[in-house]
Amino acid sequence: MIDAVKLRILQGDPIVHDVKNANLPKLFRGLPVIAGKPCPAGCDKCAAACPVRAITADPVKIDLGRCTFCPLCEEACPEKLIHYTNNYHIASDKRESLIVTKDTQAITSASAAKKIRDYFGKSLKLRQVSAGGCNGCELELNALNNVNFDMGRFGIEFVASPRHADGIVITGPVTRNMANPLQICYEAVPNPKIIILVGACAIAGHVFEDSAQVQRKFLAENKIDLYVPGCPPHPLTFITGILRFIGR
Amino acid sequence: MSSLQIQNNQCFRLDEIIFSDKNDFLKTVAKHLAGGFRMIGLFPPDKRNPGKIIAVLANSGSSELCIAGGEFPADKLEFDSLAASFPQTNYFECELSENYGYTPLNHPWLRPVRKQNVIAGGKPYQFYKLEGDEVHEVAVGPIHAGVIEPGHFRFQCHGELVYNLEINLGYQHRGVEALFREAGPGRGIMLAESIAGDTVIGHTYAHCNVIESLSNTQISLRAQVIRSIAEELERIAMHLSGLGGVSNDIGLALAASSYGRLRTLVINSLADLSGSRFGRGLFVYGGVRFDFDRENINNIIKKLNTVRSDVKVINDFLFSSTGALVRFEKTGIVSQDSALKIGMVGLAARSCGIELDTRINYPYGAYRYFPVSQITLSTGDVFARSRLRALEIDESLRFIFEQIENLPDGGIKTAVGAAEPESGVVAITEGWRGEVVHIAVTDEQGRVAQYKIKDPSFNNWYGLSLALRKTEISDFPLCNKSFDLSYAGHDL
Repeated sequence: MIDAVKLRILQGDPIVHDVKNANLPKLFRGLPVIAGKPCPAGCDKCAAACPVRAITADPVKIDLGRCTFCPLCEEACPEKLIHYTNNYHIASDKRESLIVTKDTQAITSASAAKKIRDYFGKSLKLRQVSAGGCNGCELELNALNNVNFDMGRFGIEFVASPRHADGIVITGPVTRNMANPLQICYEAVPNPKIIILVGACAIAGHVFEDSAQVQRKFLAENKIDLYVPGCPPHPLTFITGILRFIGR
Repeated sequence: MSSLQIQNNQCFRLDEIIFSDKNDFLKTVAKHLAGGFRMIGLFPPDKRNPGKIIAVLANSGSSELCIAGGEFPADKLEFDSLAASFPQTNYFECELSENYGYTPLNHPWLRPVRKQNVIAGGKPYQFYKLEGDEVHEVAVGPIHAGVIEPGHFRFQCHGELVYNLEINLGYQHRGVEALFREAGPGRGIMLAESIAGDTVIGHTYAHCNVIESLSNTQISLRAQVIRSIAEELERIAMHLSGLGGVSNDIGLALAASSYGRLRTLVINSLADLSGSRFGRGLFVYGGVRFDFDRENINNIIKKLNTVRSDVKVINDFLFSSTGALVRFEKTGIVSQDSALKIGMVGLAARSCGIELDTRINYPYGAYRYFPVSQITLSTGDVFARSRLRALEIDESLRFIFEQIENLPDGGIKTAVGAAEPESGVVAITEGWRGEVVHIAVTDEQGRVAQYKIKDPSFNNWYGLSLALRKTEISDFPLCNKSFDLSYAGHDL
């Protein structure tokens, strides 16, 4: 009994009180900022260095949906025009809003339609389906229930059955072997329902996109409500993305 | 009856392998297995020529590694299965059959490994069924209740007791090995980091060892120590996750949330070093990208000091809780005999009293100069697998504290030359679950032509099946968490 009290005191106050303004480690790679200076003529070193074809050169555009937030483009640029900042607010409801250009100051994301906000604004139950995820995204989604992030305080919860859920959260590129289970799970979620894609694999396939073992038809056939970029996305990217989506 | 002796991370020429005829090959392999060797690979080094295969064998006790080669007629890829005498070859034979069309004759239990229904010829795989009155079958998955990767578990039960558990995976199969063959040089590291997202360091370390060995690149001692520190940080983080998992599954929320808080400190330490909570972006061919400096050393030491003192309090709380011990002890037992027979590796094997740790048996990188201790427990139950995590955390913390304030001078990146043509290498690292094996073979131009990966989960999933025998089904989540195996690492 005394040990339990001692342990509780040791826990202290680990929660991130203000999820919209938290401090992340200095080297954390969040939103990339592309400097306004022009690129050297004909240079495409950043695009060539990118292992997941997330960058087009001249003018430089970085697609955060494809981006795995590795250091390669920042390293490759001879003029040091690309810099990954600490800004973790990078989720968006629109795929096009994930394209970063020289003019991008922040990632825009609109809230969901009023009906969705009315239904889910104070209580959002989500079913997580790992369709080929490597466990990186899954670990970060599990971290959302820890004492640092506690998404339960916002009424957001992962549930054990699609029947209890308001939407599904997909990780992984969608393997052939998970294509059917994913479809069945989605069909079991009652309407109205939403689809959230978490991580570079789910949004664009990551390094697996050309693999014969990947089958992304489900994503092409269904409307996606929220994109959460990262590899894996930081838990705060997920929380702030969802909060903006449900209008909080 | 001969085999090529090699070392961990030592480049060898393909023409050094002697390919015997199939009978001599099987005799050689059987002789080694009977003599205490473990199989760690069974596949054709040249994908275009599936008739020529190699068996990679390891005797960890003597630190020997060898390769036996065998040649099979291209139109008759079959052999008498060794699995009845040596259960540890069972799954390797299934994999060879699935990937290259071999027929292991009289195989006791041929089943799909990753490409579901391939072996069953397109028909759904038939699970082993218990017959009798009052027996029932429980199917779980592929999608599970929690936030976790998919896999299928089929229990044959009589009342609460599980008589057999079959584990059918492959749902996460992304075609990683094929991508290593096809991917250009720019993608290799990112692919290695994504094999199992919780074992970024373990797999990427093995992959970098492959590329560096093939190109005869010696990386700096400072880079080696940084890599090992990262490896140990990953080990601590995932062991804390495991302890949090078993605490959660017995309903001890205070312990679970406390381990969770400490895990955050450890992964944020990896982020202080590399920008990523999982160490992505840290490794480059030839060394590491990020270095320690006074600032991040101070930040990391501050966090790890908290981890070191607090984990002691949480461990004392958990392991002296009668409620926890009643759940942990004698639950999900794997006997040492079974573990040896099926070729279990890593933490699960060490919980059964088997001395198996790549850092000690086949030391690589900084572990050659700064060794870690061999720690084993003997009861092979959930208690042993949990307690061993606590002991390994202590040992990893000791290693990091010793190294981080005594980093060798020098640079962190060495230029990497061209890879040797028509050569191969076996690179083994000790990931936090156990032995990670990457084997690569190059073609005439030094490009990677064949790439074989063995995650420790490939060996250990069957250990979980055995642990559930004569165990109550309600203890399944606890047993599963006590192993904490990788689905993606197995499926590739």
